[in-house]
Amino acid sequence: MTLRLPHLPGLLPFLVPALLTGGGVALPLLYLLLRALEAQPGALQEILLRPKNLVLLGNTLTLLLGVLLLTTLLALPLAFLTTRTDLKGKRFLATLLTLPLAIPGYVGAYVLLAATGPGGFLPLPRLEGYWGALLVLSFITYPYLFLSLRAAFLGLDPSLEEAARTLGLSPFRAFLKATFPQLLPALLSGYLVVGLHALGDFGTVSLLRYETFSYAIYLQYSAAFDRVYAAWLALFLLLLTGGLLLLEGFLLRRLFLARTGKGAGRRARAVRLGALAPWAYLLALLPVLLALLLPLYALVHLASRFPRENLQGLSEAFFHSALAAAPTALLAVGMALPIAYLAVRHPSPASRVLERLAYLGYAVPPLAFALAWVFFSLKSLPFLYGSLPLLVLVLSFHFLAESLGPIRGALHQVPRRLEEAARTLGETPTGAFFRVTFPLLWRGAAAGGALAFIGAVKELPITLLLAPMGYSTLATRVFGYTQEAMFAEAAPFALLIVLLSAAFVGVLLWSERRF
Amino acid sequence: MRRRTILTLIGLTILNLSLAQTQTLTVYSGRGQSLVEPLVKQFERETGIRVQVRYGTDAQILAALQEEGGRSPADVFWGNTSGALGRAAGLGLLRPLGDSLLKTPQAFAPASRSWVPVTLRLRVLAYNPQKFKPEELPPSILDLPRFAREKGLGGRVGWTPTYSSFQDMVAGMIALHGEAKTRAWLEEMKALAPKAYASNPAMLDAIRAGEVDLGSTNHYYVVRFRRAGYQLGMHHFQDGDVGNLALVTGAGILKTSKNLGNATRFLTYLLSPKAQQYFVGNVGEYPLVKGVVTDPNLLPLEEALAKSPRLDFEKLPLEQALRLLRELGIL
Repeated sequence: MTLRLPHLPGLLPFLVPALLTGGGVALPLLYLLLRALEAQPGALQEILLRPKNLVLLGNTLTLLLGVLLLTTLLALPLAFLTTRTDLKGKRFLATLLTLPLAIPGYVGAYVLLAATGPGGFLPLPRLEGYWGALLVLSFITYPYLFLSLRAAFLGLDPSLEEAARTLGLSPFRAFLKATFPQLLPALLSGYLVVGLHALGDFGTVSLLRYETFSYAIYLQYSAAFDRVYAAWLALFLLLLTGGLLLLEGFLLRRLFLARTGKGAGRRARAVRLGALAPWAYLLALLPVLLALLLPLYALVHLASRFPRENLQGLSEAFFHSALAAAPTALLAVGMALPIAYLAVRHPSPASRVLERLAYLGYAVPPLAFALAWVFFSLKSLPFLYGSLPLLVLVLSFHFLAESLGPIRGALHQVPRRLEEAARTLGETPTGAFFRVTFPLLWRGAAAGGALAFIGAVKELPITLLLAPMGYSTLATRVFGYTQEAMFAEAAPFALLIVLLSAAFVGVLLWSERRF
Repeated sequence: MRRRTILTLIGLTILNLSLAQTQTLTVYSGRGQSLVEPLVKQFERETGIRVQVRYGTDAQILAALQEEGGRSPADVFWGNTSGALGRAAGLGLLRPLGDSLLKTPQAFAPASRSWVPVTLRLRVLAYNPQKFKPEELPPSILDLPRFAREKGLGGRVGWTPTYSSFQDMVAGMIALHGEAKTRAWLEEMKALAPKAYASNPAMLDAIRAGEVDLGSTNHYYVVRFRRAGYQLGMHHFQDGDVGNLALVTGAGILKTSKNLGNATRFLTYLLSPKAQQYFVGNVGEYPLVKGVVTDPNLLPLEEALAKSPRLDFEKLPLEQALRLLRELGIL
């Protein structure tokens, strides 16, 4: 079923919110164009022809490829080990391995700097520049890929691999030829989120001194107060992200054509690890140690020097963070549902553009995203300016891309025949969706909401500029203290970010259980 | 139903009255929340004016003010750098101030008359006191590369090219000595393979840990490290040297402000001896009014004022400095 005119009235309940959301996400793009076009012709030529642009491009691409490679090396074996083998305690391990999601990138980078080099508490040379950025970004983003691959392994039909084995292939070749292609959609959607993080992150790269596009954009705003050149750099970055989005969409589409339908879902037999089990634990220990225990140790160590009288600010900031992030999670899911539904159930160029647009909004540098909304909201909705609802709305537009993945994945697994049966029994598309589809994908929706929640708790520039006056959240307090290098005072707030997010990591794993 | 309407009306009236009675003021602050919030609270207690503050970096605040345009709710822009304040003045965002305010600080009142200097920080050379004796350090930052070469400090010099005060200093160098000389200095520095740090505390920590031996920084970072019990050397170059460049913080009133009385009170308060004493004691900055007790880590105010070259701090050629830094591949 493609999006044809006769379907339109029934689909309106999906189309209207989807289009509104698309508009909200597209506004910042329009804003960037507006600012970019303010450039003087002479200055523009200098901007576009700067040799530094090529260096930035090269740096950004090498970092992106490195991060994708390293996260694959971590996430693929770990996802396999925690789903398809007889490893003891694999659920507990999976929780530990997902928890690094709760560690903000800037915290990871700071810990790396504090822990290594002369004077650090680890006897290692200080990792800065490319290798430092690669390490930190990979260890904080691999959980996205890990979760995506776990879902794929859990949903895998083992009969294909068994057929390949009966045809005489070795276990490894059978995995490569029969299983691996089935994992590709999960791999690609994981890559998308990891890639967008690697492209857009500036906290980590600026702390570790590695110059990528987003670092250069940040510098333009902060050092030069130059909105115009920053807008151009942001547009370059979006071009790059757009390329990534098109590539993913292209590969995914070809893949869906090649994929065979699933049989009745039978659980795969667990692979016996035997003597290999200790090695598996060792591999799992590496990210747990580096991306979870080390930052936590450093934060607790710093927080122990925290002056006690500030405890009141702590609970207020905690409450404010939760108060902004919880409705953001709900709204982001509400925005992602119609977009995912249209893209999966009514694939057409238009619905695909809408879906890609949601991802592109995520790739707009957050500061530019916030400025765009300062500009537009004062022009059109001045009464909302500086209110919590506006903050929640803008955060949702930004983080809806994180919710999209799990919802899209869950929607793919809901047999469409069920919906069609409901339709033949006289339900409208909306009725069929809410009575049949939604009850089956709500765990996916919960996972999407949890990701948006975790993202919103860590977020900074949008919150700084759009929160109500005097509304301090955990992230703004961490920023306020680290701005003045008061790391001990910042630590308890950072620790609470981790705790608050960690609660939602549980939701992510719980949502993997099937209906 | 009618009763409810009446109650609502009464409620609204009370709300209205209370809004009219509590005076408020909206401040956009590029100064860090952790440093200045106690002072804001003290102002609230003493005047009964409720202050709402949006904290951010100078750049974020300036960008937000520009996007807000004529509808900005802000009354006061409290900036961390004279560059950002000068930029705001240049963009016509700030309202000219009266003599009584502008004449309070001892120095640095801007030509635009649209913001008032509040505190002073100085660029200094931080160094490892076990490596150098104070008297052997160079008299001018222009001599720093030669000094480092003679001492064999290749790879052992730190700098913070992405930090705004460093860029201000490069701009000051261009204003005082011209672009050619500044370019030569930067190239000589580059030849020493300096380690670039994202922040001053990171660089000072590296000096403390023995990773590098010296680096140009802002004085209050050294003061804070010393107050925390770490041994760090602080060297002032000779009077008038650009390596001692003054970095002025300040505040101005926005043209969009409908709250002129309270905004003026706030600015006056920032220049009161009490507030100035707070900046010395809690932040480690120099006061700009007389009658404040200074800290043993700081120079007497007269000496400090003589250290910096006199420049038009609002019109430092920052654009030119940034272009030069980019051209040389440093930024």
